Formats: sequence, C-alpha cells, structure tokens
Amino acid sequence: MDGFTYHNIFETKGIEYLAIIAFFAILIPFWIVLNRQVRMTKQLQKRLGILTANMLKIPQGIFFSKNHMWTHLDSKGIAKVGADDLLMHLTGKVKFSKLRKPGEIVQKEDLLAVINHNEKQLKIVSPISGEIISANQILQENPEILNDDPYQKGWMYKIKPSRWIAETSTCYIAEEATGWSVKELERFKDFLATSVERYTPDPSNIILQDGGELIDHTLSELPDEVWQDFQHSFLGTKPKYPHFRGLEKSGYEPEYF
Amino acid sequence: MNFDRRNFFKTVCVAGATLAVGNSFGAVKPDKNTIEFQGVLYDSTRCLGCLACERVCAKAHELPEPKDELKAGVIRKTSEKQRSVINNYVTSKGEVFVKKQCMHCNEPACAAACLTQAMYKTKEGPVVWRGNKCMGCRFCMVSCPFDVPKFEYHSANPKIEKCDMCYDRIKAGKIPACAEACPGDALTFGTRRELIAEARKRIFENPKDYVNEIWGEQVAGGTGWLYLSSAPFNEVGFNTKLQNSSYPELSKGFLYTVPSVFVLLPPLLLGIHEATKNRNHSNDEENE
Amino acid sequence: MNKQAQTIAKDNDGGSIFKFILSELKPKGRILTPFNIIAIPIILLGIVLIVIRFVNGIGSITNLSQDTPWGLWIGFDVVTGVAFAGGAYVLTFMVYILKMEKYRSIVRVTVLNGFLAYLFYAGALLLDLGRPWNVVNPIIGNSFGTSSVLFLVAWHFLLYMIAELIEFSPAIAEWLGTRRARKVLAGLTMGAVIFGITLSTLHQSGLGALFLMAKDKIHPLWYSEFIPIMFLVSSVFAGLSMVIFEGSISHKVFFNQISEKNHKAQSGILQGLAKICAGAMFAYFFLQLLVFIHSKNWDLLNTPMGYWFLFEMIGFVLVPMLLYLYSYRTRNIFLIRLAAILTMLGIILNRLNISVIGFKWDAPVHYYPSWMEIVVTLTVIFTEILIFRWIINRMPVLRDSPAWVEEEH
Repeated sequence: MDGFTYHNIFETKGIEYLAIIAFFAILIPFWIVLNRQVRMTKQLQKRLGILTANMLKIPQGIFFSKNHMWTHLDSKGIAKVGADDLLMHLTGKVKFSKLRKPGEIVQKEDLLAVINHNEKQLKIVSPISGEIISANQILQENPEILNDDPYQKGWMYKIKPSRWIAETSTCYIAEEATGWSVKELERFKDFLATSVERYTPDPSNIILQDGGELIDHTLSELPDEVWQDFQHSFLGTKPKYPHFRGLEKSGYEPEYF
Repeated sequence: MNFDRRNFFKTVCVAGATLAVGNSFGAVKPDKNTIEFQGVLYDSTRCLGCLACERVCAKAHELPEPKDELKAGVIRKTSEKQRSVINNYVTSKGEVFVKKQCMHCNEPACAAACLTQAMYKTKEGPVVWRGNKCMGCRFCMVSCPFDVPKFEYHSANPKIEKCDMCYDRIKAGKIPACAEACPGDALTFGTRRELIAEARKRIFENPKDYVNEIWGEQVAGGTGWLYLSSAPFNEVGFNTKLQNSSYPELSKGFLYTVPSVFVLLPPLLLGIHEATKNRNHSNDEENE
Repeated sequence: MNKQAQTIAKDNDGGSIFKFILSELKPKGRILTPFNIIAIPIILLGIVLIVIRFVNGIGSITNLSQDTPWGLWIGFDVVTGVAFAGGAYVLTFMVYILKMEKYRSIVRVTVLNGFLAYLFYAGALLLDLGRPWNVVNPIIGNSFGTSSVLFLVAWHFLLYMIAELIEFSPAIAEWLGTRRARKVLAGLTMGAVIFGITLSTLHQSGLGALFLMAKDKIHPLWYSEFIPIMFLVSSVFAGLSMVIFEGSISHKVFFNQISEKNHKAQSGILQGLAKICAGAMFAYFFLQLLVFIHSKNWDLLNTPMGYWFLFEMIGFVLVPMLLYLYSYRTRNIFLIRLAAILTMLGIILNRLNISVIGFKWDAPVHYYPSWMEIVVTLTVIFTEILIFRWIINRMPVLRDSPAWVEEEH
C-alpha cells in the first residue's frame, strides 16, 4: 500500500463469497452422509435382532418396579399392571397363564401370573397391593401382544390399589427409568456371563453377536436352569403365594384359566 | 509544452525524490510494468480566479456554463450541473482562491461503497462513474468524506456528477481540460509520485509562501488531487478533522468477519439442533 | 371488525388448484371496514405520487438533498422495517433449533410477517433507487461490487426472502391441498431455517455496517465501530416486540380462526417473549454503556444532542426493559404490550438517529421528510397489511392445518 499504485484491500472478497457458496453446497451432502450412517446402524441392529438400550420403549409417566413390572394409574383410580418391554425382549415370545380372579386381594410381590416359553417358566409378581378388578382376556388368545405392545394392549391385570403412593415411591419413573434400563441391560450381560457358563455347552453364539451385543429374545433358547437363575438372581422374585409355596418344588403346574 | 515540462520534472525530481522520498520508502522502485497513479497538483498561490477551468470543464462535459461570479467569502458548491468550483476564501493570509472537485482518493470510499462498481478506481488513478451500471442508490454520497458525488434529483434517469479527471482524455494521451486551460499554471498533471516531489520542492524553496503541508498526501489514505495553499487548510474550506487512513478501512473489520460467520454459524446451529433433538424425541426415535 | 361474519376458510382438497385460486381471489367479508376506509384512499394517493416520482425524479416528492441523500424511505422503511422483521429469525431459532415447543403456534405467522416485511421494504427500496431497473446489476454481475457492504446486504435480502418463502411454503401447500409438495417443502424447512438465521445475523449487522464509512457525518454519540453489533442485538428485541404487538392485534382481529388451545396459550407466550426481551435489552443497554465509555464522549452529554441521546437510551431502552421485567414478574399482559410499544418507538428512534437525525446533525439546513414521503411510506405499509390480511383469511396460518397433515413433531 504505497499510495502510488492500485491496491484493493477487498481483492479476494469475490472468491471468498464463491468459496462460501461451495461450502454450503458441500455441507448439505456432508450432513446427510453423517446422519445416514447412524440411522442405518440402528436399522441394521433391529434386523439382526440385536438388543440395545435405545430399542426399548420407555413411556414417560409410568412406574417401573425393580422386578420389571410396570404400573399406571388411570383417571378413575384403577391401576393397570404388566411386564415391561425389557423383560419381554429378554424372554421373547411366551404364553401367558393368569392365576388370579377378579375380587382377589393381592399384596405387593404376590404371584399374579406365569409366562412360559415351552417348558421354561417365569413368574410374574405384582408391583402393588390391592384388589384385582379384571384380567386382560386377549392375552389368552394373542400372547404376542405382550411383546408388541406391553404397555397399552398388553396390560395383564387391572388392580384397585390400596397403598399406591407408598408402594410407587420406590419405583422408577421417566428419565430415571431410562437410565435404569440401560444399567439393567449391563447387569443382565454380567448375569449371563456367570449363569450361562454353568448350563450351556457353547454359550457365545446363542447370546452374543460380534461386538458383544445381546441378541434379541436372549433367554428363549437358553435352558430352564438359566430361567430359574434369572428368576432368583436377576429379578430377585420370591413370590409370596401361600398356597403354592410348597408346590413350587414339586414342579406343580398351574391350570390354564 | 507538456512533454518538456514532464522531462524537466523527471530530471529534477529524480534528484529531489531520492532525497525526500528515498529514505522513507527504502529501496522500493516502481516496476516499469506497474501503472502508477496519476493526479493533479493545485497550487492556490498561482490561481488567478479567472474561472477558465470551470468554463472548460462545463464545455468538455456538456454541462451548462456557470453564470455566477466569484465573491469574497461567498461559498459556491459543486452540484449536479457543475463538477468543479472555485471559491474566494477570506483567510488570515488575505483572499485565497481554491478549486474544489473530486479528490480521486487512493482508496476511495465511493468505489468501496458502490455495489455495482459504477464508481470505479481506475489503475491510472482517476475515479470514474460508469453510468450503465449505476442504480442510483446514493450510497457513494453517504460514504464520501468530502461529499463529492452529486445526484440528479429531478431527472427520471438520474446520473451522478463528479469530476473524473477527464479520464477519456487521459486515455487518449491528453491531460485534463482544466490543467490544459489554466493560464496561471496553477494545475499540474503528472504521476502522484512526481507531483508530491514537486510540491515538496516548492515548499522547500518558498517556505514563506506556503503552509508546510500538502493537502491530499495523507488525508483519507492519500488522494490523487493534491493542494498547496498559502493559508491554513481549515480556513480554505477543508475539513481538517478527517482521518488520515482510508475510509474503506472502516468497514474492513465487518467485511472480513462475514465469511467466518458464514462458515461457523451453520455447523453451530446444526450442532445445537442435534443436541436438543433427543429432548422431545426420545419416544419417537424407537418407533422408527 | 365483525367477528361473527367471518367464516373460517377451507383448504383446497383434491380440487383443481387453478379454479381454487380464482375463487379465493374474491374478497371475503365486508368491504367497508374501518381499516379499509383509511387505507384505500391513502394507497390510491400513494400510487399517484409514485407515478410522479418516476416521471419527474425523486426530488419532486422528497426533501432529499446533496448533503442528505438518504431520508425517510431508507432510514425508516428499509433500516427500521428490517429490524422489526427480526422476529422471524429469532423465533425460528427458538422453535426449530432450541426446540422451545411453546412458541410453535406463532412461528408461521411470524415467518409470514417477516417475508412480507422484506418483500415490501425491498419494494420501498426500489422506489428510493434512482435507476431501479439497474437493481439487477449486482445480481447478474454488472458488476459484483464485493467490496461493498450494500452488496452483501442486497444479496442477503434476496436469499433471505427465498429462505423465508421456503419456510412458509408448507402453509401454501396445505392451502392448495398438494400433499406431496408439502412433504417435500417440510423436509427443506430445517435447511431454510439454518440458512435464514445465518443470513439474518449478517444482514441485521450489515445494515449497521453501512454507516461505518460515514464516520465524520454521524454524531459521535451514535457512531462507533460497534454499530453492527448494536444493530444485531437490538434486532432481537425489536423483532420480538413487533411479534408481541402484531400478535396482540391479530389475536383480536382474527379471533375466530384461532383454536381454543392457542387462545389459552397466548398469555404464556407473551410472558415468555417479555422475558427474552428484557434479557436482550439488558445486554444491549450495557453494550451501549461500554461503547460510550470506550469512546470517551462524556462532555458531549451536556449538549442538546447529548440530551437527545440520554432521552433515547433511558426513556426508550432502560424504561421498557424495566417495564418488561416488571410485567413479566406480575404477569400483567397490558404492561407487556405497553413495553412492546415503547421498545418499538425506541428502535425507530435509534435507527432514525443514526441514519437521518444524527446524520449531518450540524448541517445548516436539517432534513425532514416531506408529507409525500410519509404518504408513500404509509402506502407501502398499508398494502403490506392488506396482503397479510388476505393471506390470513385464507391460508392455514393462524388456524389449524388441515386434517391430513400428520404432526411429525
């Protein structure tokens, strides 16, 4: 800038603006590619049947108990209960047999029903205390609703709760439930590592995909011993049902209502 | 006549220039291929107030000849009908005649402001207005620190009038009409380098006649039209509060930031969008 | 306005688009509303004046001079109008980027307002140009004056209008019943929003940068190198105050179009906006203070222009800021609206101070707009309102979208 010859301090502005236009033109496909990766991985996961935390449905506003039962109070004061999505993903397709009739009084952690895959059983206990109002009839014919829509059409019982606030205060809800589910999946992987070693000849290709992810419906191909282990160690349910306690050990099977 | 003058300058000025200019500019020598700015030196001590330059200018540019007369202390202005004007200033040193017109700045505010490049700084020095591009936004008028461009407010196809240093004449090898017509040798045409050297020489040789400053050497980053005056410049109608750096530098800060904002803001917004996406959408995403 | 007489418009569903548009062109409701009675004569007078302007030149109807080349049309229509249209970029940022769902119901009408504002103020700009037919020159390349801030502003106006049109176009598609077009356009929304916010940031500050070269002509209390940043920050609360003001009027005028849910949400929205405005004005006030300290203009305060400066800063920045704060805390809707009006007056004052009043404030002859300039300005504004009303009465802007639109949010 000597003051004697032509000097333009904005000389490069034209090229800069062209570079900006190029930037925008490249940004759009760049962004699309960046996002497409993520979406594809998710779809892949579903197709291969990999079970991960972000596949789980966790509706807000529903209480989750420690043994993976959910309960939700409607505007008329009646609570619906059922099994949560995580549990259903772990067990896979099951048949449902209810054990309670309307009018019966149940306490928290009393036996409500049994789900089974062939010979393998899982006991379903109640997350709350109260009076049974009704059972969901369509689960007899269409138990797959438990897997497809565990929170709405797949409700198991309607109960009129007697101690709603006290009992749900120990339950998980909303964001806590999401975080809890993630932890439970991890805990389940640890549980499997110990339990399965004992009971199956070749555990790896039944449970884990490459990369250490769980396959969906993990428990369905595993033996009954793992199911029992799952019931006691993982879920921690020791159902309180006075009439049946003695019969458990003798392998008594409840009738299908 | 012109060529003799120029050769005379060249021989004298090389000596003078090396003394005056050489030290401050170091070893910068103009490349033979670089075109240097040309300008005009106006020496108010030589001006007779004859208004020949005004008449010649009007004739050369198809403008009406100015009819009013010079009166001491009465300020006349350039307008859309008059590109150049002489005024008679009453100063502490008596009556001084000063010619006013476009200063042809080195870095003109008007050319930086013009979004169609209708106001254009030519490589040879003169700042010209190219009518086929002008849209009449008058941003040049807002930006010019000397208030030079004048607009035809009463025309359906208005133009901007200002001195263009007779650019077409320069291209044809001639000199500006006013410089040619001036009987008192008040106007000298040459390269800016030569003119500054000549002006310094005149101040050096006749220190009592001149104020020790060349107006236009530094103001607004340096202009192509240079002034020598016997009276202080603020007394002869110049605004001495103007800055010595160029005016386009003032908008440099903003214009230089624009590309950065263009490049940084969209990714930032996309990032915030991704980060807040899951707040409301955690339920929707599993259903996909 | 007769509330009962206005029936809620129906969107086209499967019918011929051409016939539908033809039928929609007919005026609905009463012709002689109070607004029409005032607006139409002024618009007609304005058209006459505009014809005179094109025949005899700008000077025939304005008071512009060689010393003051920019007057009411640039200072008010373009510079202030664009500041008020800033509500669009702020609101789209809040709703689409920050996911503040509370404000989603007013996004469409604000984007529409922004689009119309830019459209009409670009039109007002065309009236101010000496050779409007050459306005294509910086666009087609005759030539690209890339050194100019005005070049940047002009291009941004053009691109921003396109971006806003894309943002608004799902409403047009819903009105015309073109489902596939709507889906495509809705997919473009995010890109248009991001582009629009970037453009807005730059041209709101760019309008301020226009005056940077006029350092010696604008009064030192208003001129600083920070003018662009001040314009940007003030455009935030200028735009939101306009949203509050215009929203309050639309809410009353188009009462029966707005759903029950949106009626109830109105005061919550106003309170939220008041909170944001208070915060932005707080930052702006201290920014002005900082710049004032930096320029060391203390002794200028004790001059007439100094008092004028204090009047603007205290009366029209500090006072409305406190009013917003107070009215937000006390949930007083009336005071929120009052604060909005004061803020808008303050913005008009600020923009005019920089472009007209403070520009060549020491000149012997001051510029003031001629009545004809004011009439033309009113013509532009009234025509914009008429178009706005036409659109609101037909397209799903204030009323709910047609049933076939699945809510994807």
